[in-house]
Parts: sequence; C-alpha cells; structure tokens
Amino acid sequence: MNGPLAGIRGIVLTQAWAGAFCTEMLGLLGADIVQVEVRKRPDSWRGDYHAPMAKMLQGIPTAEHPWNCNALYNSVNLNKRCITLDLQTPEGLDVFKRLLPFADVVAENFSPRVLGNLGLGYDVMKAINPRVILCSLSAYGRGGPWENVPGIGGTIEPTSGMSALLGYPDGPPMNSGQMYPDAVAGLHALSAILTALHHRNRSGHGQYIDLSMQEANLVQIGDAALEYQLTGSVRGRMGNRHHTFAPHGIFRCAGDDRWVALACESDDQWGGLCVAAGHDDWRSDPRLAMNDARKANEDALEATINVWTREWDRDALVAHLRNAGVTVAPVLTAQELAADGRLRERGVVVEVGHDEAGRWPQVASPLHFSRTPATDVRPAPLLGQHTAEVLSELLGMGRADYEQLVAEGISGMGPPD
Amino acid sequence: MLADFGASVVMVEPPGGSPIRALAPSGRDGTSILAAYVLANKQSVVLDIEDGGQRELVRGLIGRADVLVSSARPSTLARLGLGYAGLRQPSLIMAHVTPFGMTGDLAEAPGNDLAVAALSGWASINGLADREPLKPSGWQSSFCAGTAAYAAILAALHHRDLYPGEGQEVDVAEVEVMAAAFAPAMLGAMYSGEGRGRRKEIDMTGGPVPVADGYFALTISRAHFWRDAMNLLGLTDLAEDPRWEASYYRAAHKDEYVHRVEAAMREWNKMDLFDELAGRRVVAGPVLTMEDLAENDHLGGRGFWTKPTEGQTSIDYPGPSFRMSETPWELRNSAPSPGQHSNQMESGT
Repeated sequence: MNGPLAGIRGIVLTQAWAGAFCTEMLGLLGADIVQVEVRKRPDSWRGDYHAPMAKMLQGIPTAEHPWNCNALYNSVNLNKRCITLDLQTPEGLDVFKRLLPFADVVAENFSPRVLGNLGLGYDVMKAINPRVILCSLSAYGRGGPWENVPGIGGTIEPTSGMSALLGYPDGPPMNSGQMYPDAVAGLHALSAILTALHHRNRSGHGQYIDLSMQEANLVQIGDAALEYQLTGSVRGRMGNRHHTFAPHGIFRCAGDDRWVALACESDDQWGGLCVAAGHDDWRSDPRLAMNDARKANEDALEATINVWTREWDRDALVAHLRNAGVTVAPVLTAQELAADGRLRERGVVVEVGHDEAGRWPQVASPLHFSRTPATDVRPAPLLGQHTAEVLSELLGMGRADYEQLVAEGISGMGPPD
Repeated sequence: MLADFGASVVMVEPPGGSPIRALAPSGRDGTSILAAYVLANKQSVVLDIEDGGQRELVRGLIGRADVLVSSARPSTLARLGLGYAGLRQPSLIMAHVTPFGMTGDLAEAPGNDLAVAALSGWASINGLADREPLKPSGWQSSFCAGTAAYAAILAALHHRDLYPGEGQEVDVAEVEVMAAAFAPAMLGAMYSGEGRGRRKEIDMTGGPVPVADGYFALTISRAHFWRDAMNLLGLTDLAEDPRWEASYYRAAHKDEYVHRVEAAMREWNKMDLFDELAGRRVVAGPVLTMEDLAENDHLGGRGFWTKPTEGQTSIDYPGPSFRMSETPWELRNSAPSPGQHSNQMESGT
C-alpha cells in the first residue's frame, strides 16, 4: 500500500455511504482498513440478500451473490478488507476488543444508541487503546433532542436546509439525484480523522469525534444561514443561476437530452461569447451589454441563448466556446464520466477488477500527492472475505478457531445459515 | 477549516481585495456574505503579487509557512516564479485547489461550480427529466473541494510529522472531488447498463412531497420504516403486505402506492409528522428553511450556532461540521477587512 497514510490502520464499523466513503478515502490514501460487518444484518448498501442481479452482471459467471455485486456497496468500499463478526455475541465482541489495540482509527455510523448498547462506547475503547481515534457519524450527533432520531441522506437533505435551496426557481424543493449529504458527511469525517491523527502525532493522545450529518451539510450552505442572520431574508431556489453573474445556466443543445453549462463572470467573457455566437447585436443591446443589465433581464437572456444553443452539437459548442474563453462544460452522463479521458489520464477513473462483479471503471482517490502518491486501488471486498486472514495476521488465530466462529454463526461469508 | 482548527492563516489579497468580496448577496453594511463566512478566523494582508518588490514580501511569508494554498493556474505560478519547485522549500506543503486540476488540457480553462457540476456527472441526475439539469445548490463543488483539500493537507502534515522536512505538493481538482462523490451513481450506471438520468416526476421515492404546511421527505430504506410509517398513516394494508418490505420491490412497483401515501401525508403538518415518525425511529425529513433552522431546538440544544469571540460578535454563525473532544473548532474572529493585518506583517510579528 502506498500513500500518505501508509502504516495507519482502521478497524471500522462503517456502512451505507457516509461512513463507508470516509473510510474508503482513508484506504485509498494508504491506510489498512478492516471493515467489520455483520451477516445477519448486512450493510444496507449490500442490498437485500435476495435482490435480483444487476442487468449487466447477469452474464458474468462469477457474479453469484447479490450482496457482493451491489453497485452502491462496491463503489464506496475500495481498498478495504472485510471481516464479519456478530458483535451481539460475547465471542464476537471479544474478538473485536482484541483487535482494538491494533487500531489507530475506529469509525462508525450506527445511530447513536448502538455503540453504547454493544458496550463499545469511547470510554471502553479508550481504556483498551488510549491512542485510538473514534469517529462517530450520525444523523443528528450526540446530545440535543434529536440525538436518537435516525436519518439517511434522503432525510438529512431536507433537515439540513439543502432541499429548500435545490430546485427550479418556479418549483418545489427537491432532493439531489443521489443522497448527496452522505458524500458531504464522508468528506468532513475524513477531515476530522486526519486532524485527530496530526494531533496524535504531536501529543500522543487519541480523541473522540462527533459528526452530525445535519450540521456538516448545513455548514456547506452556511452562507445562506449567515444571510438569514445578517439580513433576515430566506434564500430561494435559484436553479442554476448565480447571485452576481449572468448568463449562468444550463442550456439545451441539439439531440436528445444534450446540455451545455455556460457562464460569463465578466463582460470580457460575455464579449467572447457574443463573438463566438456571431451575435454582435447582443453586445450592443443595452439589455445585454453589461452584467448588471443581463442580470436584470435574465429570463430574456436565457431564452435568447437557448434559441442559439439548441442548434449546436453539444461537444462542438463546448470546443467553440472554450476557444473563446467562456466558462463552459458539457453535462456529462454517468456513462460519459466513466469514459472520460481526463479523469482516466489523471488516474481518478480506473478499471477495477472485482472478484465477483467483473471489471468496471470506478472512481478512485481524487487527491494527488507528489511525494506520497496514493495510486494503489483494490476492489471492494466480498462479505467476510478477509476474516481468516485478518484474525490470523493480527491475533495469530488459527484456522480451527476461525472455523469455530463460523460454526457458531459469529463470522463467515454471506447470509446467515 | 485550517484556521477554525487552530492554524494561523494569513490570506494574501490583491489591492482592491479578494474577488470573493465582490460576490452578492451582501449584508446591510455592503459586505459580501460569502466572504464574511469563509474569511472568518483569517488574517488579511494586501500585497500586489504582480509587483516584484511586493512579491518578495509574499515569498518571505511563504518562507515562514507550513502550508501554502493556491488557486492560481499553472501559467500564473510559472510566470510569477511561485511554482512549488521554484520555491525551493522542501518542507513546505503546497496545495492547489482549482476547478480542473494542474495538469491536462483544462488546467488553464476558466471554471466554476456550474461547470464542475456539469463535468462531474452531478447535473445529469439533479432536477427533472423534461427540464434542464440542475447544479447542486450554492457552492457545493467549492465546499467539497475545499474540505477534501483540507483533508489532503492534513494527510501531508501527517506524513511530515513522521518524516520531518518532507513536504509535498498536493493537487485537488473540484471536478475530481465531485466525481468521487458521484461514484455510486457511476458504478450503478455501469452495472445496470442504463443512464441514471433525472426523475420523470416528483414523488415520495425521490424526495420531498407536499404536506399540509410545507414539504416532507419520506424516503424509506429499511423494512420496519415502511411498516411503521404505513401504520401511522393509516395504510394498514400496505404495512401488512410483506412484499413491500424489500426496497427493490418497492422501487419496481411504486405506482401502486405512491399516490395513496402522498394523499395521506397531505393531512399532516411537517413537524407533527416528523415527531411521530421519529418516535417510531423511522427516518423522515421535513424540509427546513434557514428560518426554521435558526430556531431549531435540536441545533440550539447542540449549541451549533456560534458567535465570534472578537469582531462582529452579535451574529450567529454556523458552527463546526464536526466536534473534536481534544482539539475543538473555534470561531475567534469575524472576517478581516482587506489588509487589516498588513501592519503586523510589516513590523515582523
């Protein structure tokens, strides 16, 4: 393993997206991440045990088990080893506690009661390993009246204020296309853990981190919160518009569902766009010449631009406007992103061979380090794939003891027997 | 974030101030609200980096820095002699945070949150199928990339802790951070063989729907959420039929229930429905506005809103995105005025 975190180990209880993404990033940066899962209650992102196999995997002979072939799970659990332990059994809990001395980091995103119910609060972990850093991600954090209220990305988006800001100016509040608050929480949890590691390097002390997904997401729209505090006004939904600049939007191109994002953040950029469009008349139109006027006439401006862009092939228009110095980008679909040459050239999209699901493009680490490059990419683990390996490596456990854990249903692979 | 967790952060601004100070909306005193938010806890010195003599002062500051953060394009750094190699300071950690990264054919191209939303895939799944794609609201690419860059800087500091003197250069592209956040949708499209696309319509499976006094998201994941929510809404036949407990089944047959559930939800006020569902430990989300959040009992109980200890001290700022037991977040100063700390720099403090 390479990367700035080589030599760091996480024994983690993360699941779904936020927690799993956080610890995946630790793994992508070089840490050894041992993810502890439970057979009788699989990670919700492994899906239902009896879910149908995804369409493109149906012809792949190794794609046998839906819980190992879920795109959601496999997308956010690169560079991990997976062990299974039933922490609700004394034996499972004991094994987990014996692993704790080997952990620099423990992370979890259960709802807040769970860790305490398991007898695994921070005090317990700290007594076993005073240097351990424990990061808890939950919907609403520790303390406060909503402490034990469960939440997921789709409900944190509305309760953090994000949904109220997302949508068309003439439409209702919306959620993102995919549970965006989880990704935000994962990035902030990663930041928290690395801050704690740096502190530990200097002080020798671990610490406890309490992350509320609601708060982490509210921080990312904190300017709207501060706007309310400073002016009393509640920001509305702005679609793709910008407070200051116009044009700033996504416009239709020729063909089916083809779109271009374009913006002018100066009158020079606008001049470049007018020349590129062959529309000197836009530059001389007093409603469009200067940014303030364009902002005041934005509906008319956008209608004018839409008439022009829809005659254009998307990619031809992007190339044309890039030459003119306009801020411009094609709206890429997921398939186009997977094929994107720039992301592949920079090693952010890479082909990853998974033991069951086959070889597919995946997103690896977006962070590039000159001295400690983090370029090692391994596929998401199968459920329970590394239990024997990890317990042998860290605890010196023999095969017979592992088989005993499996026989008792405490460990093993796949659904409960 | 560096400043909030205790670092001394000096922002070098051009004469006339950082461009962020010109962004709307503004507070009553005319200062940019975005600037007030993201410049808090920093010190400001004004220096014209295009002027040779003043650039030497900037280099002097860099010489005393652990970390240098830049959003400049590669050609600008090269022209000014401020590229990492040229600084000849091996222990320095230099982080670049730019829309498209420091290499490749877009390294010099202008970019912003809108362009990043388009190029990272996010716009293609936000919004409605028959309307234009939507960027995430506000400045999500900027905040995500800033947070990722903070993490990258801490990772580099960690390496330098273990190997003293070993600084490095870190390249963080907004588009790549947002692509990492898009990973589930991308692999989902690979496995399913079809584009995810945008929603054809607004219904409860994808986000908020109307209730009596606003909007409410009832996005069900686990089986017991479904049973308990349907029972609360008086839809006992839906609660009792075990087929509905599996998420893939609900997704495939949503037309059979969404209209009934949404009609039942419209009888409720958002906070009443939330309180009842929370009591049953069902995930649920009332759409809260900034006004709602300013008065929210939970955030109040957590002590989230924070007044700076110096400067503009009567205003509630958003608090930390995470709480650390040993090294807490701290809001010391509201945003400095441009050049507020130039004198301190000149006097060598």
